[in-house]
Amino acid sequence: MNVRRITAVATKEWKETVRDRLFLLMSFLLPVVWMVVFGYGLVLDVEHVPFAVLDRDQSSLSRDYVYRFIESRYFDYQGSVSDERDIDRLLGDTAIRMAIVVPERFEEQLLEGRPVTIQTLLDGTFPLHADTLKGYVIAVNRAFTQERITEFLTRTRGLVPEEARRLAEPVSLETRYLYNQEVRSTWSMVPALIMFALMVASPLLTALGVVREKETGSIYNIYSATVSKAEFLIGKLVPYFTISTINVVVLWVIAVWLFGVPFKGSFTAFFLASLLFILCSTGIGLVISLLVRTQMAALIITIIIAMVPTILFSGLLVPVSSLSPGAQVQAHLFPAMYYTDVVRGSFLKGLDLKAMWTDLLALAVFAVALRLVAYSLFTKRPKA
Amino acid sequence: MKEIGAEDSSQHTVLGPQHLDAVVRVSQFVKRYKKHVAVDGVDLEIRKGEIYGLIGPDGSGKSSLMKAIAGVLTYDGGSVEVFGTRVDSERAAERIKPKIGFLPQGLGLNLYPELSIEENIDFFAHLRLVPDKDLAERKTKLLAMTRLERFRDRPMKNLSGGMKQKLGLICTLIHEPELAILDEPTTGVDPVSRRDFWSILAELLEETGMTALISTAYMDEAERFHRLAFLSCGKVLASGMPAEMRALVPGSIVTCEAHPQLTAIARLKARFRQVESLGSFLRVFIDTADESAARSQIDAALGDLTPSSFRVEEPGLEDVFVALLLRKTEHKGVSEVITDSAVVHDRDGLAIEAEGLIRDFGAFRAVDHVSFRVKQGEVFGLLGANGAGKTTVIKMLNGILLPTEGSGLVAGANMRTAAGSIKERIGYMSQAFSLYLDLTVEENIRLFAGIYGLDKHSMSKRFQWIVTMAGLSGYESSLTHSLPMGVRQRLALGCALVHSPRVLFLDEPTSGVDPIGRRHFWEILTRLAREGGVAILITTHYMSEAEHCDNLALMYAGRIVAEGSPEDMKCQVEEVAGRLFEVVVDQPRRALVHLQQTGFHGAALFGTKLHLFCRDPLRDKASACQALEGSGVRVTSVNERPLSLEDVFVYRVMALERTETSATEGAAA
Repeated sequence: MNVRRITAVATKEWKETVRDRLFLLMSFLLPVVWMVVFGYGLVLDVEHVPFAVLDRDQSSLSRDYVYRFIESRYFDYQGSVSDERDIDRLLGDTAIRMAIVVPERFEEQLLEGRPVTIQTLLDGTFPLHADTLKGYVIAVNRAFTQERITEFLTRTRGLVPEEARRLAEPVSLETRYLYNQEVRSTWSMVPALIMFALMVASPLLTALGVVREKETGSIYNIYSATVSKAEFLIGKLVPYFTISTINVVVLWVIAVWLFGVPFKGSFTAFFLASLLFILCSTGIGLVISLLVRTQMAALIITIIIAMVPTILFSGLLVPVSSLSPGAQVQAHLFPAMYYTDVVRGSFLKGLDLKAMWTDLLALAVFAVALRLVAYSLFTKRPKA
Repeated sequence: MKEIGAEDSSQHTVLGPQHLDAVVRVSQFVKRYKKHVAVDGVDLEIRKGEIYGLIGPDGSGKSSLMKAIAGVLTYDGGSVEVFGTRVDSERAAERIKPKIGFLPQGLGLNLYPELSIEENIDFFAHLRLVPDKDLAERKTKLLAMTRLERFRDRPMKNLSGGMKQKLGLICTLIHEPELAILDEPTTGVDPVSRRDFWSILAELLEETGMTALISTAYMDEAERFHRLAFLSCGKVLASGMPAEMRALVPGSIVTCEAHPQLTAIARLKARFRQVESLGSFLRVFIDTADESAARSQIDAALGDLTPSSFRVEEPGLEDVFVALLLRKTEHKGVSEVITDSAVVHDRDGLAIEAEGLIRDFGAFRAVDHVSFRVKQGEVFGLLGANGAGKTTVIKMLNGILLPTEGSGLVAGANMRTAAGSIKERIGYMSQAFSLYLDLTVEENIRLFAGIYGLDKHSMSKRFQWIVTMAGLSGYESSLTHSLPMGVRQRLALGCALVHSPRVLFLDEPTSGVDPIGRRHFWEILTRLAREGGVAILITTHYMSEAEHCDNLALMYAGRIVAEGSPEDMKCQVEEVAGRLFEVVVDQPRRALVHLQQTGFHGAALFGTKLHLFCRDPLRDKASACQALEGSGVRVTSVNERPLSLEDVFVYRVMALERTETSATEGAAA
């Protein structure tokens, strides 16, 4: 192991990367752009759902019922229709995602104390959305029903409204959302996006950096020189490691300042896990680069290998615990999941090193294993 | 597969007894890429201090062999011994690497484009742990020697081909290896830079006692080596010193004129296997070294045609290689029915007329006032190195690229305004052979016919013509990617001719094709021009191929620096510079220094021989010999040599550079 040779490789690599405009942009701009675009774009909150109403009753009570939806910030009133066929058309065009049909004699029957059914038509194209939407509808409907009961009790038994309300809902539910009090998806999304940006950008950079040399033939300078395998691999990774480390800090700042996500945990633990994770992601890039010959192949394979599991199995969009058993196994075979745990834990849960040491250990194991694979794949005397 | 190399060992008997000072010893070397056998049973031995050459076309196994010797490629059979170490594992390979400098193939491709000249050198030096003091010293010396001193801080991506090549050499030699392995260092570089490169290399080798293994695709560089091996299809066809190689195939080259040329060719071909037409001349290889015997053989073959301007020369190494190749393979002659159903174009008109073409890319002038004319039925060669502007000229004439200034007529259409009709009247074949490799020969031809809108009847007629013309019969249903390079090249030519164009553009069509394939190709081109009246504009960086053209233009840095027929161009230079002599001496480097001191500035080293121009043959020859003998160099022989086109190119460019320097100096004063 000779420091001078490592420095030579690292310096050369650094100069090439920062002088090549495309590489420079890829190194520093890409992660930030992803973070900002997806941070604003990938909002999973279901709000402002467009809907239309077919009110066959046209009574004051039916208007009162519909008005509750119109007022809610979760819904966006698009207007009334007079024909059921219009609803089909609007739903088909996705002009609305929900329709409420109030039956005839709605007020009359309610006042007579008979049950009525309101029909809601939901666009089920996105099951997750539809589920959330159904929850909102049920909540609005229950509030209206309770109010009817409360009013009935006050009227018939002469109770004060307070007491009537208690009677109408004997068991009340108190929900407190922990870690993310306002249940804002941004808070959960943005920290995970740090993982995403690192997971895709740094393997890409590393893989292209190595394959570029294979493609031009300058790798023969390394093959034919006295530089050892380890020296070359270390020297080659140092610049990409440095770039990714800078990116971690930049992304952290964006998460806290731009998106206002609270950081409650220990920065040391977060930073340490980040360094381990960068070692993993650059290691993945390195392994890919040793298996392919062209930059195009490196690009495609990196995107497939890095992006797909990252999106599906890392807990970025869907919690790992709610994946199918098979998918859960896959998730555990990939370093992204452990880092996502650490990031969310540090930002939202305020966990410290002690609480997350298993995740860090897993990352360390991946980092070492990937290095070993890369070392054994790399040969200075290839077959072709 | 037959026994590896068993049959070959008898072929290169010229290899002397095993030398004790052998630096590299390769025996029964075999390299396979999956099923393909790239190198098949090669033996060679490189002695300390010599320049050993590997010559052969693309795919002959040169690179595989060199990489294995450099310890950067595994092999499948035989043994490789370098500096007494058997290179059979990665560990063993690591042991020899401190003593080796390896320059991979591809001009400047192993260098780092974003880094400056100095940074590139520093990187290589640091990788090899060259002490800072030595590095500074060597850098100063090598940069001065290669005249790159002024460009120290220029990024490598902004260097010319010749500069990249020299930088590559410096980087490979910065740790002063004992063995330099250089894979095609001169491919794609202009002749001036090539000569420069060879003289720098010779000087360095002489000084340090370094050994060098160098490959080249240029046959005419064979003379530069002390010893060489000629590779073909993964086997050594012949090896030894250039003189020994020549002795393998005794014979002579006869050049003469005879009319009508086509009849003369037909008659000569009936008797001799190597017959070429060079412009109006015929060139025949006859396997007798005796001049009068050669003459009588020619006379007998020609019958009632009388040859004029008869000349007998010693065969070049390329002729030797072709003769050796011909011994092994059955050469299929070009069919005689070439004009059958072919469109014969009017012979009198002008096919191409370029007037003051200029093309700028930003601040860079790629083409600078280029004018020339090509008649129907003429083969016109555009020569020059990579980046000289040849391809840009072709693109402008094809109507693909608009000229910044100037005008041109191609096949009667104005290239500025009638790009569409130009495309109907011309055929174009590029270096990359724009064929579909997954289609068969027939499918490729039919596809191109379809693209040019041929109807069914004319398509099948044309198909037959192409197959006969290009010698493709038997290959019709073969997949294109399985074809040898030479056949692929002829197929590409056939596809370019599918619509009977009046003008044919060929952009470096012969790169990477073996000498026989190249000769076959030229035979077809000549016949197309002579019999079909097709005007052919061809670019090439093989100076030896240029001899086939009727007229030439040499391009350098976007300008035409010389033009005319090959003969005229040589005469022009001979008039100004004098005759060319080849001097054989016992201490070539010392002799060169002395000659240059005596005033022979044009003297250059060619392997172990010296070349110099003499204005007054008798007097200059005598004074040169005197100067040499006086300094203790023994002169073995001094012989006059005919000029090659490369000599012409080098002379022209050097003269140009001299006037430029004096002009700038004059302006400065």
